[in-house]
Amino acid sequence: MFRRYFAVVASAVMILSMLVACSGPSGPGTNQPAQTSAAGPVSTALPTGKVTLNMYIETGFPLPQKLADEFTRQHPNVTFNIRQDQFQVITENGPREMAGPNPPDLIRLPQVVGPAKSGLLLNLDPYYKAYGWDKWSQSLLDQMRVGTDGIRGHGSLYGLGIGYDVTGVFYNKKLAAQIGMKSPPTTIDEFNALLAKAKAAGLLPIMQFNDIGGVNFPYQALANQFEDPATLADWIYNKPGATINTPGTVKAAQYIAQWGKAGYFSKDVNSLDYTTMMGRFEKGQGVFMFNGDWESANLDKAMPGNVGFFLFPPEKAGGRSVAMSAPASYVIPARAKNAAEMVYFLNWVHTNEAARKIIVEENGASPGGPSDLPLPPIPAGTVLSQTLAATNQLAKSGVAIDFFANATPGIYANAFRPELQLLVAGKETPEGFVQNIQKSYQQELKQ
Amino acid sequence: MNTTRRETLIGRMVLIIFMLFTLMPLVSMLSTALQPEATIPTGISWPSDPQWHNFVDAFNVANLGTLLWSSVLIILGVVPVSLLFATMAGYGLGVLRVRGGQVAFLLLLLGLTIPLESLIIPLYYQMSDLGLLNTRWALILPLIGLFMPFGVFWMRTHFQSVPADITEAASVDGANSWMAFLRIQVPLAVPALSSLAVLLFLWTWNQFLLAIVLVDDPNQRTMAGALGAFQGRYGTNIVLLCAGSLLIMAPTILVFVIFQRQFVKALLQGSVKG
Amino acid sequence: MMGSKPELNPIVASSVRSSRHRLVARGRWAGWLYVLPALVMYALFVLWPLLTSVEYSLYSWNGIDAGRWVGLENYWSVLTDSELILPIVHSFELVFFFTVIPVCLGLVAAALIRGFSEGGFGAVARTILFLPQVAPLVAAGIAWKWAYSETGIVNQLLSAVGLGSLTRPWLADFGTALPAVGFIGAWVLLGFCTVLLLTGMSKIDPALYEAARIDGSGPIQEFRFITVPSLIGEIGVCVTVSMIAALSSFDIIYISTYGGPGRVTMVPGVLIYRLAFDERKVGLASAMAVILMILVVGCVLVVQRVMKGENS
Repeated sequence: MFRRYFAVVASAVMILSMLVACSGPSGPGTNQPAQTSAAGPVSTALPTGKVTLNMYIETGFPLPQKLADEFTRQHPNVTFNIRQDQFQVITENGPREMAGPNPPDLIRLPQVVGPAKSGLLLNLDPYYKAYGWDKWSQSLLDQMRVGTDGIRGHGSLYGLGIGYDVTGVFYNKKLAAQIGMKSPPTTIDEFNALLAKAKAAGLLPIMQFNDIGGVNFPYQALANQFEDPATLADWIYNKPGATINTPGTVKAAQYIAQWGKAGYFSKDVNSLDYTTMMGRFEKGQGVFMFNGDWESANLDKAMPGNVGFFLFPPEKAGGRSVAMSAPASYVIPARAKNAAEMVYFLNWVHTNEAARKIIVEENGASPGGPSDLPLPPIPAGTVLSQTLAATNQLAKSGVAIDFFANATPGIYANAFRPELQLLVAGKETPEGFVQNIQKSYQQELKQ
Repeated sequence: MNTTRRETLIGRMVLIIFMLFTLMPLVSMLSTALQPEATIPTGISWPSDPQWHNFVDAFNVANLGTLLWSSVLIILGVVPVSLLFATMAGYGLGVLRVRGGQVAFLLLLLGLTIPLESLIIPLYYQMSDLGLLNTRWALILPLIGLFMPFGVFWMRTHFQSVPADITEAASVDGANSWMAFLRIQVPLAVPALSSLAVLLFLWTWNQFLLAIVLVDDPNQRTMAGALGAFQGRYGTNIVLLCAGSLLIMAPTILVFVIFQRQFVKALLQGSVKG
Repeated sequence: MMGSKPELNPIVASSVRSSRHRLVARGRWAGWLYVLPALVMYALFVLWPLLTSVEYSLYSWNGIDAGRWVGLENYWSVLTDSELILPIVHSFELVFFFTVIPVCLGLVAAALIRGFSEGGFGAVARTILFLPQVAPLVAAGIAWKWAYSETGIVNQLLSAVGLGSLTRPWLADFGTALPAVGFIGAWVLLGFCTVLLLTGMSKIDPALYEAARIDGSGPIQEFRFITVPSLIGEIGVCVTVSMIAALSSFDIIYISTYGGPGRVTMVPGVLIYRLAFDERKVGLASAMAVILMILVVGCVLVVQRVMKGENS
């Protein structure tokens, strides 16, 4: 029996070597064109005649669909063909589709660097000049720039956001009053004291999901303050020599470990998923929740008048705010057939009054665009008005930084997810935590 | 068979425990599907206000009507052909004992062990080269190939256990092997064929990963592929996901129950011997 | 009609033998026609991609650009990185839950169902036990996630029978996560084994049971000495299929824990997926897949050997 088996294996090996010999030296994959450089002058005119634009967006976020409907309402000659898939699926299929013969005109894509390096994305620099995007908030646009060295944060522009989110801390007003919180804390120590008070009062201090690493929200909020955001940004943008292993990030990890030990998170935090976290918080469990403004509208509906928001406080009173604030990034494939029209649409999204209103109301996000354009009016007293105000405050006097999770394609699933679970459960030291993340990071970039 | 009442009672109780264990998560899916949308269910609790319309909502959100038809087409493409090829091959290997059949069998056995994840990317490029991406053939052809290992394995096991005197009797009648195959062996194989048919139907119907990767157009995938529509980046619309899953399960349960009758008839026939 | 041995007188017997010889000789090669269609589909859509995958394992490739030749470096990485070896250990632990439990309980369930007359309790039991195979794994995984959660039904039941002190979030606890995932697998495979074993039981001659009854043996002895030995073939299939499911498990872990908490439930199947799709290391993922495949084949061969031994 084994003899026969070896015969099979031997023939397989033979065929394999023939295969390898035949495919030539290049092996799998094809040489992609180099990173696209800026093309010549481009048109900023509204497309005339019938045009159908293809969008590939994620499920669960109806915003682009609503914007498309509004655009068609204003310009009936332009219609949209919208395909939706899970976020995960888009991340997998997206690059392949862009390299294929029929790419869509717009794709929701969080990972810009890889496709940019492979020459799959349209270079938007000429449009930047033509449409005058230098009047927009640059720190948000910079997150979608990729240099020819593959480093983010500078170089040509390859994507735009539809809605720009901000993150911070939501709180249950009733429970907060119960522990004597009259106004949002102004320092980290104050926040820490509030957590202790909540625990002493028998409440759950922090309602946070961690089945896929949601504790990164509070972790990075702390790291943003204990460490210079510029250092962290270098790491996220893959600058050579950048490291996340610094005293500031270790201190942040220590806080998380302490919070875990003191029982500030729920007992099942490591299997708690996002939806359940939201459900419990909306039902009144948990004083604080680290999340982003994409939930503002939902929270207003579920807990009217009972939910508030504040940006995570600095170490010392009066220090500047730092928060994760990133665009929901969309890119245009280099081979898209209706590229110019799609850019027109994106510009319209940022500047048209009706579009901006839709973004704010639908998603709770800031519409971006020129900083002198007025924000759509929001009823006061809602948490939505608070998150919008926070975005503004951040733009004026704070620092917007990208998520750690966007540093490399695999860092979140591979490193942050398991490591945060270990850290919170006390099975990992803060030093070990940071070291392992750095190790994973370096391994991934080595390829 | 004479069995005592006590044996029957104990047997019943044991089976009931098994069944409860089996039903537990499914019942929780049902109670969840009836909750008001965007709520978080805890354990099993029959909602005070059952939202039966959730099933309608799920049907629309996931475009289940189109996908039902798409799944049927895929099933029709995959299952009959797979059954035929697997039975023929099982016969060839198990009864005719062709020369070198051992090698072929081992080769097929290899297929059972191959993790699907490692085949996806080569399959994607293969389908792309064949120009079949975005058609249902991108799903049908690989599935037939992927079902061969288990199908042949299963039918071969059946044919091997057919008593030799039946095979002899078939050849004595002067029939050539094809007639022997059709007239005698296949009818004998109906219990094994039925269970195989049910399994292949289920595995095709519930195919998720292949559908997502190989077929770009969501409307040409299987119904199970539609479950992705309920999963956002962070959160899942659990209520609709459960309602959708139950809707997707409904046709399969129906098919399964229908096939059961055939299955049972064949079982009864097969058990009456001599 | 069937089942009775035809009695041939010697003259007829010899002519039968010679004609059968011709038939058999022709059948030996014509037989390949029966096997070819299956083999062709298999070769085109499984073997060919498999060989391509092996080719990928010799490169460092992100799935889009041109790959870079690295020879056996990927294999070396897998064999020397503890983070890549540990998942293999976990998958072997899962074998107990995916194989031993469903096969043993499946035998019991099938034997019990067999004892009930058709159309009643037996049919209902069979249908219900098979339901986990009918549900999409995605949905089942999520249903089990809540069953195991802090406020889920598992804890509800424990409290109800007075074992409230044992409650915990099963999938979040570093010690219980892997067994908990194992039980999900047992749940999925129990019905599968039961139905396959039932099919096998239909071939057992009832006369054997009657004879045993007359001899005064009880149901347990019938089970041990008649049922189980007659089912060696089917048991072999169950063990093989469920063991492969354990070693190359993906869907269940992907949905319920994705390898967590920490890395205690990481298995090769999920790791391959993660390497290929999250980290875009197609070459490394392919190498891991090849190693997994070799491992599984080895185990299957061992099982087949043992089953053959039992058969004789």
